[in-house]
Amino acid sequence: MASKQQQQQQGGQIDLAQLPIPQLRDLKSQLDAELTHLSTSFQSLRTAQSKFRDCITSLTSAFPAPPKSPSPPLLVPLTSSLYVPGKLTDREHVLVDVGTGYFVEKKIDDAKDFYERKVKDLGESLKDLEGVVEGKARNVRMVEEVMRVKVMSAQSAEAQAQGEGKSD
Amino acid sequence: MGDVQKKLQELSDSYQTFQGELSTAVEARQKLESQQQENSTVKKEFDILEDDANIYKQIGPVLLKQDKTEAVMAVNGRLEFIDKEIKRIEKQITDIQNKAESVKTEIIQIQSSAQQSQQQAVAA
Repeated sequence: MASKQQQQQQGGQIDLAQLPIPQLRDLKSQLDAELTHLSTSFQSLRTAQSKFRDCITSLTSAFPAPPKSPSPPLLVPLTSSLYVPGKLTDREHVLVDVGTGYFVEKKIDDAKDFYERKVKDLGESLKDLEGVVEGKARNVRMVEEVMRVKVMSAQSAEAQAQGEGKSD
Repeated sequence: MGDVQKKLQELSDSYQTFQGELSTAVEARQKLESQQQENSTVKKEFDILEDDANIYKQIGPVLLKQDKTEAVMAVNGRLEFIDKEIKRIEKQITDIQNKAESVKTEIIQIQSSAQQSQQQAVAA
């Protein structure tokens, strides 16, 4: 994997030095767009992960570990400003949203397991995405570097040409 | 010169429309991808579920109880449909890309020939 990435980068480097400035600029804006997109995805994955973590905490606080211990007092929201006291009749099952409008009845431990799995999966995706983002950022920096060199050399060439023009 | 410019304008307009179409198609493709992702995670979840597990389907604000086989079938059907849609959109995307590419080469050709004739005019 690493060697492949390196190869790609080396290939990119060779190509970059030969590209004219407008194309480099296009490439940079394209890379920038990709980078922003990936960063937003990264952020939303983070949010999703913390939501699943919240679910685990809620499960732990609503259903304390020894199953026979009394249910903690509960207030059920009827509207956002009106609450009524409630009691859990079923202390063993919860309904879990598994996506696309399906809810599955699960035991508390299974539900926790489900959310932990989700958090783990998202963590893996986050790690993968982090690598991709880093690679893209590296590419952007590389393109910027080549662009700077090109622009500078073009400017100095221009200055030289002008200087020669004056001396004539 | 006017003719060339007019032609160039037309070509760049059509290039822009192609770009617009392309971005809509790509957006649709991404949406399908995320739907596919969601459905396949649901399918995975169903796979590890006991056969007699209680599954509810959300219809509006109501949760309706559904058989596992029924739910599994529905999800599989969706996955199949999404698969087909992705293939269709993918083909659309390559089509648009090809068209845009040919327009682009035409533009470049016209531009370079115009440049050449200009240079010749200057030289003459």
